[in-house]
Amino acid sequence: MRGKAAVLIAAMLLAALALPQAVRAADEDIQKKVDALSKEVQDLQRQVAQSKEGKKSVSDWLTIGGDYRFKVDSLRGKVADFFPFTGFDPLTGAPVVGPLQNEFTVKNDSILTNRFGLNLKAKATQNVTVTARLLMYKTFGSQDDSAVTGLQSFDQFGNKVISPFFGDRVGVFDGTQGHVPGDGRLTVDQAYATWSNILDQPIWFSVGRRPSTGGIPTHLRQNNEKPGNGGIPGLLVDYAFDGAALGYAPDIDVLPGAYAKLCYGRGFENGITANGGNGLKDTEFLGVSVTAYDTDRLYLNLQWDRGFNIFDQPVISGKSFFGFSVEPRVDLGDIDWYGITALSTLKNVGPGTLNLFATGAASITNPNDKRTLVTPSFPGVGLLLGPGETRSKKTGEAFYVGGRYDFNKSRTKIGAEYNYGTKNWIGFVPAGDDLITSKLGTRGSVYEAYLIQELNAAPISSYFAKTFLRIGYQYYDFKYTGSNNWVGAPVKISDLGNPQNAQIFVPLKNAQDLYATMEVKF
Amino acid sequence: MKRIPTYFLRIAFALALAAFLLPGPVSADEIKLVGVITKIDIAGPDAKTATATLTDNKTGEAVTVIVNDDLTLDKFKDHRIVVGDEIRLKYEVLDGKNVSKYFRKTAGC
Repeated sequence: MRGKAAVLIAAMLLAALALPQAVRAADEDIQKKVDALSKEVQDLQRQVAQSKEGKKSVSDWLTIGGDYRFKVDSLRGKVADFFPFTGFDPLTGAPVVGPLQNEFTVKNDSILTNRFGLNLKAKATQNVTVTARLLMYKTFGSQDDSAVTGLQSFDQFGNKVISPFFGDRVGVFDGTQGHVPGDGRLTVDQAYATWSNILDQPIWFSVGRRPSTGGIPTHLRQNNEKPGNGGIPGLLVDYAFDGAALGYAPDIDVLPGAYAKLCYGRGFENGITANGGNGLKDTEFLGVSVTAYDTDRLYLNLQWDRGFNIFDQPVISGKSFFGFSVEPRVDLGDIDWYGITALSTLKNVGPGTLNLFATGAASITNPNDKRTLVTPSFPGVGLLLGPGETRSKKTGEAFYVGGRYDFNKSRTKIGAEYNYGTKNWIGFVPAGDDLITSKLGTRGSVYEAYLIQELNAAPISSYFAKTFLRIGYQYYDFKYTGSNNWVGAPVKISDLGNPQNAQIFVPLKNAQDLYATMEVKF
Repeated sequence: MKRIPTYFLRIAFALALAAFLLPGPVSADEIKLVGVITKIDIAGPDAKTATATLTDNKTGEAVTVIVNDDLTLDKFKDHRIVVGDEIRLKYEVLDGKNVSKYFRKTAGC
């Protein structure tokens, strides 16, 4: 009994000794809260005073955000048996074909990249905003795009030779600036002004460098918010365009969230010429996008686009191909695209949220009689047309399906995707966020699975601030050559053992990318 | 792969475009305005209703509306619509209260 009392007393003494500490801690806590509240009141008073004086605080009109991404990719690929096209005979102009290259594997065990984006949105005047996104994307240990533009080797004189795999990764150009690792400069990815509520109607006009990359449903694998009504369908367009949009969002009860817009873009500016021209035209782009339904449960978009006067190759500064600079030399015709995209977000499916999407598209070429790579002994190639092939329309199709399940409590997201493109599929998607080639322009299949783990950290900079880790795997199974390239006729990979099917690009049979990222959105 | 019939895509596209030409029903009692949100009151993640106060861009007057539709409530809950956003609002006065019929960020990109 005495022993128990002693323990009790000792406990009481300890508690008594600890009590002032606890009280002091509580007092300090209250004082901190009072200080914080006082500061808030002062801020509010200042804001009210400013408001009365007609002044605005910066946060009233300017929104700043952005993102940082570190990514490590481990790349593997298998090159098919093929005959390489090595250039033209300088005397006759005849194409020179090298000896058969037997199947071999290529790899880069690790390529590390940094990407940084800074977003600004300014409410300039009533109904007018200016939005900008500045973007830097570079490879560790490199100040150019050479790490992602092809197969590296040295010639007999010790000069470095880079043999590209795909047309969209020959080098960084206007449509891929900031979306393919480049020289590390901060470039203007987006800069546009938007005039809303025109004539007091739900009509808007927007002009500038457009938000025409990362469209629905590619935002899911990027763990981005769903793009707003400035966005584009990801399977059809992923290209940093300079252009404009005129939109209308009517109030139709049976079509909640519906809107439509007319989009314009210029893909190439031909510059000043004599009255007769220089044989080239500006490359233009026109699109009509109808989002018939836009709710969480269902997003449904239909789109028609036409690219006019499609150039044979974009301007890629500092690059040459068989001794020729890489720049447009001829326009090859027009391409039409039709697409349909459906996206659904279903909440409270089990312990989380289920996102599902399906999108399909068709591309139809309308070539002219012009050809590129023409020499006295070579008839050249056209818009999906091989050497000597007469003018004919080519129709390609593609689809892209997948989903992502979000575990709300643990902030874990698991996703899987599949896309397929037929022989003549050509998207306008070179800015796709894939190192090997933009996966949605693939002629063949691409499988991708990923896991995203968001950190359980309260957002500070904005409601949407978050930090997450992402690991994923992509497998490309190429069925035809020329993915993401509209010049020349696609050839079945299994037919490349024929010297008549000699290839300018190194034809990959398959490729894999195992990647991991650490990403911060602020 | 089975070919996606392009004519189907064309017809679907034309139908969707045509839907935009259909005039929507208009009620004489509806009041429309465009304004900036100054306050949102919503009682937690399970709330079935909320109130939002907007400043009318034209008159500068404050208008408070009750919001009951799930679409908008979801956007309040996950902060897709926040204080400072400009809203195109349509509401009716029912039993002396302003009840939102259409609550959407002003279109634009």
